[in-house]
This record gives sequence, C-alpha cells and structure tokens, in this order.
Amino acid sequence: MIEASGLTKRYGDRLAVDGLSFQIRPGRVTGFLGPNGAGKSTTMRLILGLHTPSRGSVTVNGRRYRDLSTPLREVGALLDARAVDGGRTAQDHLLWLAQSNQIPRRRVDEVLELAGLAPVASRRVGGFSLGMAQRLGIAAALLGDPGVLIFDEPVNGLDTEGIRWIRGLMRGLAAEGRTVLASSHLMSEMELTADQLLVIGQGRLLADTTMQDLIEGNAEAGTLVRSPQWPGLRDLLEGRGARLRPGQQGRWQVLGLNAEAIGQLAAEHGIALHELTPRRSSLEEVYVQMTDTRVEYRATGPAPGQPATTTSSNGG
Amino acid sequence: MRTSIEPGRAGFAEGLVSEWTKFRTVQSTRWTLAAMAAFVLGIAVFVGATRSLQPDDTVLGGSLTGATVGLLVAASFGVLVMSREFATATIGATLMACPRRGVVLAAKTTVTAAVMFGVALATSFLAHQVGTVMLPDTYAPGTPMPALLGVAACFSVTALGGLAVGTLLRHSAGAITTMVSVLLLPTLIGPLLGGWERWVAGASPVAAVQKLSQSSDAAPAAVGSLGAWPSLWLVCGYVLVTLVGAGLVFRRRDA
Repeated sequence: MIEASGLTKRYGDRLAVDGLSFQIRPGRVTGFLGPNGAGKSTTMRLILGLHTPSRGSVTVNGRRYRDLSTPLREVGALLDARAVDGGRTAQDHLLWLAQSNQIPRRRVDEVLELAGLAPVASRRVGGFSLGMAQRLGIAAALLGDPGVLIFDEPVNGLDTEGIRWIRGLMRGLAAEGRTVLASSHLMSEMELTADQLLVIGQGRLLADTTMQDLIEGNAEAGTLVRSPQWPGLRDLLEGRGARLRPGQQGRWQVLGLNAEAIGQLAAEHGIALHELTPRRSSLEEVYVQMTDTRVEYRATGPAPGQPATTTSSNGG
Repeated sequence: MRTSIEPGRAGFAEGLVSEWTKFRTVQSTRWTLAAMAAFVLGIAVFVGATRSLQPDDTVLGGSLTGATVGLLVAASFGVLVMSREFATATIGATLMACPRRGVVLAAKTTVTAAVMFGVALATSFLAHQVGTVMLPDTYAPGTPMPALLGVAACFSVTALGGLAVGTLLRHSAGAITTMVSVLLLPTLIGPLLGGWERWVAGASPVAAVQKLSQSSDAAPAAVGSLGAWPSLWLVCGYVLVTLVGAGLVFRRRDA
C-alpha cells in the first residue's frame, strides 16, 4: 500500500507535483499515466525518499521510505535502467544490492534466472542493450521479494517477447497480493495491464479510477453510420435528438443513439445502411481528451472535434 | 512465488560489506590505486638510481619523494568513490537500498580510509626499502617508524578529503581539479606570500608528509615549525570538517 496526502514538490518556482493525494492498493496493477513532465517520475522519487517533499507526505506500508529498516525487502523499484555502473557485471551489481539489505546470495541467482539474465550474469553491464538493462533493473527490483513494486516505464526498450514477459510478470505479482505501480506513456500497454489508473497532468491528479470506469465515464461511445440515403437518415436522427459528427469516407459518427435504435429507425423508414459500427473510445482517446488542457509541452493545437471534457474525479 | 527470506538488517555493517563489494568489482578504482603505487615506487627507484636528493636529506625522505604525486592520486581516488556513483546515477540505487544517508557516507568513508591506508602503508614501506637498498650510507637513514604509519594515515585522510569534495561537487572533473589545487597551490604560491608561506604551505597534506618523512623539503621557513604529527592532526581536522559539511549537504539534497 502506497499512500500520499497533499504531496507537493516545488523546484524553484516550478511546481512539479501539486497536492497529490492517492492510495495505491495491493492485489492489482495501478497504471500511472501522464504526459512527459507531468510529474510521474518526481512522484516516484518522492515515494522512494530520493527527493524530499516540499509539503505533504507519502508512505509505503504506513511508513516513510526513509524509516523502512530493510527497504529492498519491502519496496522494489525500477526507475532508470541505465542507472548502473557499466564497469560492474550483472551479478556483482545485484550482489552489492543484496548485501546492503542482508538478502541471501542465492536470491541473486534466482532473480537473474527469473529475468532471463543467467547466461549474461558475469558480463559487464556497460555492454548490455537497453532491453537487457531493463531486465536487470527488474531483477534488482525483485531481489528482496518485496510486497510493493514500482516500475517507471517498464516496457521501455523491451522487444515483443520482453513486453509480454513484463506484462505477465506484473499481473502475476499483483495476483500474489503485491502492490504494483507502473508508469507508461503507452496507452495500449496500460489498457492491457492495469486495473486501476492514476492520471496526472502538470503535477495534479486528473483521475483516480478503474480502467473501466474511466473509459465508460469519459468516452463518448458513438456509432459509425454510412448510408447511401444519408440526408433522409440525418433528418430522422436529428429528429430523435442525436448529435452528428462527420467522419472519414462518408461515415458519420452518431452520438446519443445506440446502434439498435439507429438500425430500427432506418428499417422503419426503408433506409439502407452500408455500415453500422458501435465503437467505444480507447483509453488513448479518453486520455487525450482529459490531458488536452493540461499538456505542458504540446507540439500542435488541440485535436479537431475533441472538446476537452472535465472529469468528475478531479482530485487536484 | 513469494520466497521466504529470513529477516535481515540494512545498517552500517551491511553498508560496509556492500561498499566493499562495490569497490572490488570495478576495475577503474583498482587501477587508480595501482597507478598511485607505481608513481611512488617508480620515483623511489629513480631517486635511488640517480641519487637526486639533497645532501642533507634522509633516506626515508628521499624514498618518499613521489609522495606528493601519490597524494594527488589518493585524492582523485577518494573523489571517484563518490563521483562515480553520481556519474553513473548508481547513487539512486544506493540510497534506495539504504535511505539513511549518513550511514551510506560513513560506510564509504570507512572503506575508502581502510583501503587507502593499507595500500599507502605497503607502498611507502616498499619505497623506503627501495631507498635503503639503493642509496649509500652517506645519507642519514631517518626514522621509519612510526613515521610510515603517519604517511599512510595522511594518504588515507587526503582520500577522504577527495571523498568529501566529490560528495559536495558530484562531478569528477570539478572535484579532482579542486583537490589538485588544494594540494599543489600552497607549495606553488607559497613563496609569493612572504611570511604567510609557512602557514599556507604548512597546512597542506603535502607538508605533513614531508615532515613525517623527515625530508629536507620540510624546512621551517617553507612549511612552518609545526611538528610532523601536529601537522597531520591539523589535516585530519579540516578534512573532518569538510566531511561533516559534505554529510549535511548529502543528507538534505535531492538525489
């Protein structure tokens, strides 16, 4: 369990984390989403006691990280896979970590095996690919068999097989009753892995909800319709109070009426339909809508036809 | 899948074991020490072969002519123990493993001091042996014990000065430059300072080693009349102050 209350971090006059309050519970994977510079990594560094909060507090299992007696046995974290001394072998890197918390030496071999690094255990880390470094970081996080795991961009640099591995690993760790917090900028990845979501933008909490609630509560689930008799159908739909948006290749997005109602209406009036596709917004679309107004380093203007919606669960 | 691990601790003793592993598993730190020993011994052999020492010098002082260069390498070694952690960002993992930063610094200090003391003692002992074998009896022998212990201690403390400055500045180049300046400038600019020379040059670890090794370079006009051992305690004093300052900054700073 990770608990933050009014967590705030200020660097000079920049507010990196602004009054975050949340609880990350065991037994599920909590996804941590937010654009670059939103404060995800800073929040993780605050949890791990690497940075000191300007205001507020954050605890792991009810205690500040700095007060944990054997931290690696309670919390495992992967922040930056490249933050290792390239002159050391994978085995030696894990060995000094193990010794610092009196973790038996056999655990080093166990986690090397678990992360698929046993064959390269005695090779210097400096020669590792990003994917291998990422696996080493995950091995280090698992070293103390901790109940709380924190991964910053865990799929970064992994190949397809590696991504499937980490996905299964995170789900497995959560199923064992551990607390798993993982950040990612890959929405599709989060959609597959996370049960719970914590969305932040510009250091503030935008949403703290389950994946399903987030999508259903924020998505404008619409229906794509294509018809050779569109003008007639359009009048009928508007008569029923549906809102219409032009789509691609002659399709229209119909909001406010579901596919059954549209099909029924068309049949009653003898209108042919060439397409009738109910669609649910992806996490990515919801996320874009939600963070649109909050993106700090935006390359282009807001996406057309995507008015920024506010969420009911804004806890900032 | 949860494996049961018997309970343990993450205190100073564990920090020591861990820091020792860190030290011995990276080649560059060992190479730095080897370079230091090679310099000191190489210069001892050179002095022995060419008899390039003052007529009033001692065998002990002549054999340790290379100690000044050795101290520069010792300081760099101390800097690297800490700055390498910042350069590779390993410091994050170190502090996650042991969030009590005072303990981390104490463990690093202990390992650095012990390693440097051992290597410097062996090196200066061998250098003295080289001088004893190669230099003629016309030179006063000097008293090697307990002077060699003091020389080794001075190397050790100089390395800790490097560790403290490395902790404060975090960058290898800046910290090494600072230490080289602190070690060499007093001797270089001392003659320009007139009556102040003996105070400025006399406070340097270089002066402490010269005095301990009974070198003819340790003339009171140049390095003051403070005795060999008091000079060493003076160096210990200001290194301790720097180390405590570095510890306070290290504890407060975001990593």
